[in-house]
Amino acid sequence: MQLDTLLRVAKWEMTKNAGGVDKRTIVVMALSLVAMGAVAAIAVSGGAGAGMDDGIYRIGVDESSPYYGVAADDSTFDIREPDPAAIERRQQELLYRGTQLQSVPRTAKERAALTELRDSTAQYNDRTLARDDNQTAAFPVSVTLVYEQQSGSSQLDPRSGDGSDGSGPSAGGSDASDGSGSSTGGSGDGSDTGGTGGSAASGGGDGGTAGGSGANLGAIGARLTGDVQGGTPSDISPPFPFESLVLAFLYIVPMNFVIQAYGSSMLSERLNRRGELLLVTPVSRGDIIGGKTLPYLAGAVGVAALITAALRFGNIAPAGSYVAVLAVVPLVVLFLSATFCGAMFARSFKELTFVTVTITVTLTSYAFVPAIFTDVTPIALISPLTLVVLDLTGQSVGLSSFVFSTVPPLLTGLVLFGLGAGLYREEDMFTQRPIPLKVLDALAGGINSRRSALKMSIVLLPLVIVAELAAIAFLFVLDSVSLNVFGTNQSLGIVLVLGVIVVIEELAKSLHVYAGYEHARYERTLRSALGVGALSGLGFFIGEKGLLIARLSDLESLPIGEAALQGATLPAGLPLWVAGLLFMLPLALHTVTAAISSVGASRGRRAYVAALTVAIVIHFAYNFTVVSTLV
Amino acid sequence: MIDARDIRKEYGGFVAVQGSSFSVDRGEVFGIIGPNGAGKTTTLKMLAGLLEPTSGSAEIAGLDTETAEMRQQLGFLPEESPLYEEMTPISYLKFFADLYDVDPDVAEERMHDTLDKLELEHRDRKLGDMSKGMKRKVAIARSLINDPDVLIYDEPASGLDPLTTNYVIEFTEQLAKEGKTIVFSAHNLFHVESICDRVVIMNEGEIVARGDLEELQAEYGHTRYHVYTTVDVPDAVQENGSYKRVVESMDAVEETRERAEANGGDVVDIRTEESSLEEVFLNVAEAGTRGTRYVEEDTE
Repeated sequence: MQLDTLLRVAKWEMTKNAGGVDKRTIVVMALSLVAMGAVAAIAVSGGAGAGMDDGIYRIGVDESSPYYGVAADDSTFDIREPDPAAIERRQQELLYRGTQLQSVPRTAKERAALTELRDSTAQYNDRTLARDDNQTAAFPVSVTLVYEQQSGSSQLDPRSGDGSDGSGPSAGGSDASDGSGSSTGGSGDGSDTGGTGGSAASGGGDGGTAGGSGANLGAIGARLTGDVQGGTPSDISPPFPFESLVLAFLYIVPMNFVIQAYGSSMLSERLNRRGELLLVTPVSRGDIIGGKTLPYLAGAVGVAALITAALRFGNIAPAGSYVAVLAVVPLVVLFLSATFCGAMFARSFKELTFVTVTITVTLTSYAFVPAIFTDVTPIALISPLTLVVLDLTGQSVGLSSFVFSTVPPLLTGLVLFGLGAGLYREEDMFTQRPIPLKVLDALAGGINSRRSALKMSIVLLPLVIVAELAAIAFLFVLDSVSLNVFGTNQSLGIVLVLGVIVVIEELAKSLHVYAGYEHARYERTLRSALGVGALSGLGFFIGEKGLLIARLSDLESLPIGEAALQGATLPAGLPLWVAGLLFMLPLALHTVTAAISSVGASRGRRAYVAALTVAIVIHFAYNFTVVSTLV
Repeated sequence: MIDARDIRKEYGGFVAVQGSSFSVDRGEVFGIIGPNGAGKTTTLKMLAGLLEPTSGSAEIAGLDTETAEMRQQLGFLPEESPLYEEMTPISYLKFFADLYDVDPDVAEERMHDTLDKLELEHRDRKLGDMSKGMKRKVAIARSLINDPDVLIYDEPASGLDPLTTNYVIEFTEQLAKEGKTIVFSAHNLFHVESICDRVVIMNEGEIVARGDLEELQAEYGHTRYHVYTTVDVPDAVQENGSYKRVVESMDAVEETRERAEANGGDVVDIRTEESSLEEVFLNVAEAGTRGTRYVEEDTE
């Protein structure tokens, strides 16, 4: 790949497509994005949003009452002259004289108004106390220590061991009180390991943002509404990580716009043979693909940088840094590479629409859903967006966490680009074949000899890792549901994860072998099939060690993670001969099952499906036995 | 300049081109003709480096057809040349000049010179708004933007109206006179006949005849004799005050002379007419197919 050529192609890709979209459309799109960002920002604030509830409660209170200031600061209240008759006529919901409530709430609206006033009063008091010079006196903290047995997935902090400054007050108040009884210490991000504690107001200087994510997210909300006194006990986040959701949403949405434009551009090269003339120039395939991809990659990363900068300099997420932008890069690569493959597989724009929707849903789920649980479980680290949320909320991101989150999607993206590039040639680019056959074409592009089976099993490993991590992320919620399988009392989540993983691994080992046979790359003999299968199994066994990357996370601390990763790692404390046997058994397993599938593949599609099923059953039985025995 | 050695192309079990060999000299205009599906386009694409031969090899100026160096010397015009319709001719040609790493000033001069020769106006109009003939001229200009030594044109006048077709063929002829080596295919054999130095005829993926026009005529064509007499003879038609009988052998000419003399007349003129390339092509096509185009798979 030559940089100058790549940049030349990139320049013309921008020029060419600039003429394809009229300025009015660009303006409308830009305004839509800005509006979406604004709405998201308001949503993050957790405040009154677009002001639809302004003045919905009418309160009769005069300026001499201490509640006057409370109501004046809360836009949901419409302050009126105190008038008992108005209460009777239902023209006011609340009536105060001094500190005394003069009316008894009778309707649902009056009760809601009273609840709102009490919440506003608590916040008003917090803001007032936060201005006090003596913060210790303003917010006295009472700590009750309760020691409990640690178990279960929800009690683990993904950032433990990362040197996170979020662990601040280590005794982490599980029962911290501000005197009003309104708050508990932990905010769901590891209260048992000491996280938020509810100690210091974030605006308090020395407390800074070290209070943990819950408080930090609350602080972001406060800053969005100009309430710089956020971070007080009453601001502690609710259990549902709404702010994580919105922050992740901000970053993921622009990518979906970018891949639409990218997919269209790539597909248009294939329709009517437009791209044929590029292939006959001295520019290499890699330069063409790289050059055409670069503007979209730069655009998506640029948008992420702009969002980060806007959040940072808008004082909404002042902790946002280059880490958030870097974390987005592998995700952008993954989105673009999947779209590139889709554009190389699709036969028309109609088919591309289905492909891109599938990509959007799948990858958004992969990136977005785990990130929502940034403060809840180590599984969240599967998604690079979790790093973004951590960075924006001022929590440090350790190198191991960064590697674990970003390397698998980055490698997967590169593999997908490689597969798609295999089709970027005259013979495959302009043929109109169904998508499954195109997938086989792409896989067959990397097969030259029997040894290719070994290479392909290794090359496809990043895809396997990402798929398996995603399966863990989506199924871990079922970890607590028990299932009686073959007399064992196994968790439903573990059983399902084992099943999904077995299917993924057997497909990864055999699909390229089947593609090789379909493209006459291998001889259709029993000997050849066994040899190719064994090499594929060996390749997978070697590549499987890539799953050791999971060691960089706390994934193995979860039963479901431990079960899923048992092929790559060994339980501690085993006798040497058992450890040796367990190390070699996966090799035998992968070789045998891959050979079974290979023999089926050599005899046609139906035989392949049947053989693959047998291989899956054997693999599942093996995994289930190991997990039931050792995990 | 161009050397194709036993190039063969298979798609799955289908043989598109069955081991073709030929060479083209520098400055020569080489035609490939044949019916639809004969393998002409596949052969041209293998020469252009777009398709990798299943077996055999092709070289241009001693360079493998898959190398960037070779492509730098090549101008390729496919049968269909869909352009980037949102671009103008100028931006489109600049784009390709950039890809061929042509100096911008040189490219500017070259593109306007070529477009002048092709008499293309409305150079700032978007390509999507242009007629098919105008688009073809832009495509031809693109094939020349790198000033290539070798041009490979697949049906350069395909789908164009007669006027534009003649224009394109004349322009190709002019390029040949400038010393370009040209390989091209065409359905209209009159065009091939008018500008090609040598021709191969392909049928069902195989070269079934080759040579210059005279050689092809000698092998596959016929010489017709137009015998003009002063009196009527059997099978003769009256033409310009005399009688003309068309025969295909000297024996028949002699027989005509004898019949005319027997009727009191004489032969006043004898003219010869050679077969056209179209007739040669039809004769070759009638010669029949050369076997199966499908590879038998080895199965257990």
